[in-house]
Formats: sequence, structure tokens, C-alpha cells
Amino acid sequence: MPYLWLKAVHVAAVLLFIGGLFAQTFALASAQGSAPLARWDRLATVPAMLIVWVTGATIAVEAGWFTSPWLWAKLVFVLALTGLHGIQSGKLRRLRGGDLPSSPNSTLRVAGFIATAVASIAVLVVAKPF
Amino acid sequence: MPQQPPSPAAVAEDLAQIRRLRLASFVEATTLLVLVFVAVPLKHLFDYPLAVRLMGPVHGAAFIAYGWSLVTTVSGGGWSRSEIARLGFAAFLPFGGFLNAGLLRRKRAALAGARP
Repeated sequence: MPYLWLKAVHVAAVLLFIGGLFAQTFALASAQGSAPLARWDRLATVPAMLIVWVTGATIAVEAGWFTSPWLWAKLVFVLALTGLHGIQSGKLRRLRGGDLPSSPNSTLRVAGFIATAVASIAVLVVAKPF
Repeated sequence: MPQQPPSPAAVAEDLAQIRRLRLASFVEATTLLVLVFVAVPLKHLFDYPLAVRLMGPVHGAAFIAYGWSLVTTVSGGGWSRSEIARLGFAAFLPFGGFLNAGLLRRKRAALAGARP
């Protein structure tokens, strides 16, 4: 697939994935985990996450970027966001099973982490500073 | 305070999650075997690199899907550290994913038995 098409699919999948991640974070603070969100997660956010990884890895291999330090720094953030999505999926399952919701402070901390990670990823991949 | 038993819906969700992890484990293990025992020999013994070029990314995606499924499953609670470590190590060993089947079957049976 030509580079621009791969990049377009990658960016579209990233937007969907990050939207789903924020939705999870705020749903965890509600009294009960949102059932439509669980469905959306399975239908859109998880496939988007897999597409992010597959298209991202393909682009990086084609462009020969695996030797560039900025890509490894970006991968650390991507891995953290992927892990966070898994952790939040498990916590939402527990919430729907009767667990207590997250505190407002921890919700804002997690949302702040996602925002920082996304901003860092954008800077690293666009400016490629090192 | 006595702990409340999990609701039937919560148990059903946990059972479905273990089923997804079993599937991810099977796919991860199978793609690793094909990569190591078919694609890599084809490349080095028969000078046929296309199989590795195809199976490499397929196994990579299966590995990420398994890792994510594992984190999602254990974040729901009810897993000991040794069980989590065992499931994690299995992803790096050929046939490791198939060895998960017994543990996951036992967890499913225990969970189904706890169904209120």
C-alpha cells in the first residue's frame, strides 16, 4: 500500500483508539460501567488499536525507522497506552460486576497521562527530534 | 464485611474474556510455530524470504493481541502472580501458548462453578 494511504489509515485508527481510551477513563468514574461503551470497545476501539500496531509497524519497516531513537521513544508511549487500555477494560468489567468507581482525582490523573502521551507521540513522529 | 458473590452478568463477562484469551493464545502460539518452524527454515535453507516477510507481521499482530488480552483478563481480578507470570512467559516459547489451555480451562471451570 502506498505510504500516504498507510499513514491515513494509521492516523484514522489512532484517533479512534485515543477517543475510545478517553471514553473508558471517564466511564470508570461513573457509578456503573457503561454497557454501550463495552460494545463500542469491542467493535471499534480494539480493532482500531490492532490497526494502529499493524500499520505503524509496516510504515516503520518500509521507511527503515527502527534504527531511529525517536521511534523507540514513541513505542514506549504506544505500549503504555495499549497497556492502559487493557487495564481499563479489566477495571470496567469489575465495575459492571459491582466494584466501586474510580475517584475524580485518579480519573483526571489518567486523562492527563493520556493527553501527555498523545502530545509526546505527535511531537516525536512529526518533528523526529532525534 | 462479607464479600458479595459476583453477579451472573459479571461471571458471564469473565467467562467470555477467558474464552477470548484462549483464542488469542492459540493464534499466538500457532503463528509462532509457523514462523519458527516453517518460515525461518524456508528463508535460510531454501532462500525463500517471502514466508518470513508475511509471517513476521502476522505473528507480531497476534503477539500484541495476546498481550493486550492477557492484560485485560488479569486486570479483571482473580489471578495470582504466578498464573500471570506463567501466561506472560508462554508468549515467548514455542508451544507455550498451547500449554495455557489447561490453566485457562481450570479457571473457566472454577468461575463457572462460582456462578450464583
